[in-house]
Amino acid sequence: MFSYNFKYELKLLLRSRWIQLLSIILLLLFGFSTFNGLQKVEKRKKDIRAAYVEVQENDEKMLKLLDSVERGMEVSVPRWTIPTSPMAVGNYHPRVAAMEPQSMAFIATGQADLFTHYVKPKVSGNDFAMNFAEMTSPVQLLFGSFDLAFVIIYLLPLLIIAFSYDILSAERESGSLRLLAAQPIKIHTWVLQKLGLRFFWLTLLVVCSLTLVFLVTGLNPLGQLGVFFGLLLLTLGYMLFWFSLAFLVNLGVGNSARNAVMLLGLWVAFVLLAPSLLNQMGNTLYPMPSRTLMINEMRNLKAEVTERQDEILDNFLRDHPEYAINDTTQFRGFYHRYMASQRLIKEELSPIVDAYEAQLKERQDWVDQFKWISPAVIVQESLNQMAGTSTQDYENFRKQVVRFAVGWREHFMPFLYNNKNFTQEDYPQLPKFQYETKAYASFATVPILFLISVGLFTIGFLFSGKTKKGELLTSS
Amino acid sequence: MISKTFLKETKELLREGRVRIAFVVVILLLGVSVWISARQYENVNQQYEIAKTAERAIWDNQGEKNPHSAAHYGTYAFKPKYPLSLVDQGVDKYAGSSIFLEAHNRNEAQFSAATDQTGLARFGDLTPDFILLFIIPLFIILLGYNSFTKEREMGTLTLLKSQGISSWKWMLGKWAALFLPIFCITALLFLIAGFLLNGLENFGVFSWSSLFTLFLVYIAYYIVFTNLVLLISAKTKKSGISLVISLCVWIIACLAAPKAASNIAETKHPYPTRQEFAANVLKDRREGVDGHNPWSKEAKLLEVRVLQEYGVDSLHQLPFNFDAYRMQKGEEHEAEVYLKHYNHLKNQYSKQTQVYRGLAAISPYLPTRFLSMSIAHTDYATHWDFADAAEDYRVATQKFLNDNFAENSNYGDWGYRADASFWKSLPIFEYDPPELDFILSENFSNILILAFWIASSFGLLILFTKTI
Repeated sequence: MFSYNFKYELKLLLRSRWIQLLSIILLLLFGFSTFNGLQKVEKRKKDIRAAYVEVQENDEKMLKLLDSVERGMEVSVPRWTIPTSPMAVGNYHPRVAAMEPQSMAFIATGQADLFTHYVKPKVSGNDFAMNFAEMTSPVQLLFGSFDLAFVIIYLLPLLIIAFSYDILSAERESGSLRLLAAQPIKIHTWVLQKLGLRFFWLTLLVVCSLTLVFLVTGLNPLGQLGVFFGLLLLTLGYMLFWFSLAFLVNLGVGNSARNAVMLLGLWVAFVLLAPSLLNQMGNTLYPMPSRTLMINEMRNLKAEVTERQDEILDNFLRDHPEYAINDTTQFRGFYHRYMASQRLIKEELSPIVDAYEAQLKERQDWVDQFKWISPAVIVQESLNQMAGTSTQDYENFRKQVVRFAVGWREHFMPFLYNNKNFTQEDYPQLPKFQYETKAYASFATVPILFLISVGLFTIGFLFSGKTKKGELLTSS
Repeated sequence: MISKTFLKETKELLREGRVRIAFVVVILLLGVSVWISARQYENVNQQYEIAKTAERAIWDNQGEKNPHSAAHYGTYAFKPKYPLSLVDQGVDKYAGSSIFLEAHNRNEAQFSAATDQTGLARFGDLTPDFILLFIIPLFIILLGYNSFTKEREMGTLTLLKSQGISSWKWMLGKWAALFLPIFCITALLFLIAGFLLNGLENFGVFSWSSLFTLFLVYIAYYIVFTNLVLLISAKTKKSGISLVISLCVWIIACLAAPKAASNIAETKHPYPTRQEFAANVLKDRREGVDGHNPWSKEAKLLEVRVLQEYGVDSLHQLPFNFDAYRMQKGEEHEAEVYLKHYNHLKNQYSKQTQVYRGLAAISPYLPTRFLSMSIAHTDYATHWDFADAAEDYRVATQKFLNDNFAENSNYGDWGYRADASFWKSLPIFEYDPPELDFILSENFSNILILAFWIASSFGLLILFTKTI
């Protein structure tokens, strides 16, 4: 029976042009979205490269200036930007702290359009005031991006629905169900076989078109075999979930249109409503403290600190004698006071800043618990993690940058408090930023996704076992 | 004939379980989303009021200080939330809400809500605009996909034809039956929103006429969808096929086209990165007067010019403090540089807008989205307008402070302190969003596109139902 089913199903799909149509649609969708993703990644790489080049050019100028100053020549730049002053180097010659895209960054835009991929921390200024938001038109952020993740999460289920909503109902509507009932096969086994075959063909098409698109756009899927298979398995798991829903709805046997409405309702619920409901609830349960009120607090603190600058500097030097160990001049200028008070502001503000981090983390944890109510959420998160564009990735980057900024500042503190000039010999010792990628992607979600689908299939089997063929034929 | 068809269709809809369930779900969703938005609105505005007064108090109580130190100390401009954001949140989530106003620098609005949220936020929020723009069109499809196909499937088409029915009257009856429930839901939502807003305190610039215009925009959007769904139903043979095609139209119009438009717009007319932008500004700033650098070539030129103008031969003889004067000139140069670079951004954005308008030909969603956001004061243009107003205020504040410095001290007198009561005399930052008339004239092309959609979909509908 299975081999007959296989043969007729293939003939049917080919003659109704479903396979041809699906291949074209899939190729177009995958192609367009991959192209979009690659363009974004290309721009990201280009921007970072340009930033490095700029720093290099500036450094050459700086070294020339240093050379001239050390030889006692006149230089024609503003006094406070002459790089013999350590603060001038720290402020006007910052390093690039960049987050290079990961190899699969093109599959999901994730938070990449929201956050910047490189910053240049300076010695002055506050770490928490560093702006990590990218300069993007908010309209673009609102609409989102046509990336591979969008195709997989939103569109693929719709293709599956269109492909499988009328498996049983069409037979009845065309009258062939009676013929089928005469065959020695259980109805649900037959539906399962038919759906299984459709799943098989769609899988084949998805795998082939994805591989083809990857090859055409110059990506070698064999190069990153692990991630590529991860992507495929995740997609298949998600597809299987939708096929299992289609199985359940098909066994319910309404008419074709009613099935389609039912499946669509599920699509709206899982893909549109559940995620936004979850997000809204997260926001309500774990509200962010107001940023505007944080500004007020920061300002009050600054006002207070500015008034006691001298006192703060004295206290600071008493606490940190190591910074001024070789100072013979005892000269105290603007930056000596400024850096000491900045430090104090940072210490006093850190509880407020930590409150944001803690709240965001709690929210993330809460979402992690409930993400299982919708496979769309799971797949979105997994795809973002594979692409290295998830919220966690940017948080990780932010933390590394803040750590680097602290190091950058610390590097210049002994120069400042010892009133020591920055020289050409000190240049190679300047700290450099190296982003350390942390892999957040875990493939544990894939088997769970498969398990959910298998569970749904089993439910369908158990409940439909009771339906008799006769009921199917007579019920409307 | 029209009324008979209308009554019959309405009765049929009311009897069907799926319609009742969907109706309850839509109403429920709308209720929840309005409630959430109203709460959020009150919350944000409360914080806004607190922050605004607190910030002003900080500014007023600076004590004796050099005006230029005060300029560096700066102040903040906070963006209020407007009443109609209750209906459409627009880009508010992605645009910052506070701008730091300081000497020498124009800062971007900081702290957008989206940066403080998890990745889930990118799926969208459960807000009234989400229901109005996405779910109600789906509801129209659900109600109307089988409007004509069922007559074929049940065989009633032949009966109807034998009655000598005029096809346009028949169509109009069906149209009215499909449109009425949608009209009722929308009207109900807008009435509730109106009374809610009227009841809220500090509702500011809320006007019933804006709300009514917004209502009209959505009604126009639904008319287009109603026409399209009926058109598809009239031209297909099976209900299932009609549903699938209607759905494709919905996906393309509401999901795919906006995303594709955003990708194309970005690739064709990209924004610089934040760092690039800052570097470009810095480069241009170096070419003019820097208030803090009396030794630069530009500063020397300014010196010569001013001395000539006043017919004196030393800066000490000038009737004002030249340091402050130079500071002001530097400020003016910097403001000009920022204006140039921000205009470039705006230029890029207006080019991006062209892309969106172009793709509106395949998506009635796009003009509706833009119109709705504009009327609700939650669009990008209003954000620009606010940022520009804040910048104007910043420039005026700098002049105010530098003038005080220049008039009340002598050249080289950096020890000058302005009186503690001086700060209070700085005018308060006020911002009024653009009026409805202005918004409508700015969005004329969107209105035109939407009108074109209505006209052409009606035309096609009448043309095709004739031959059913």
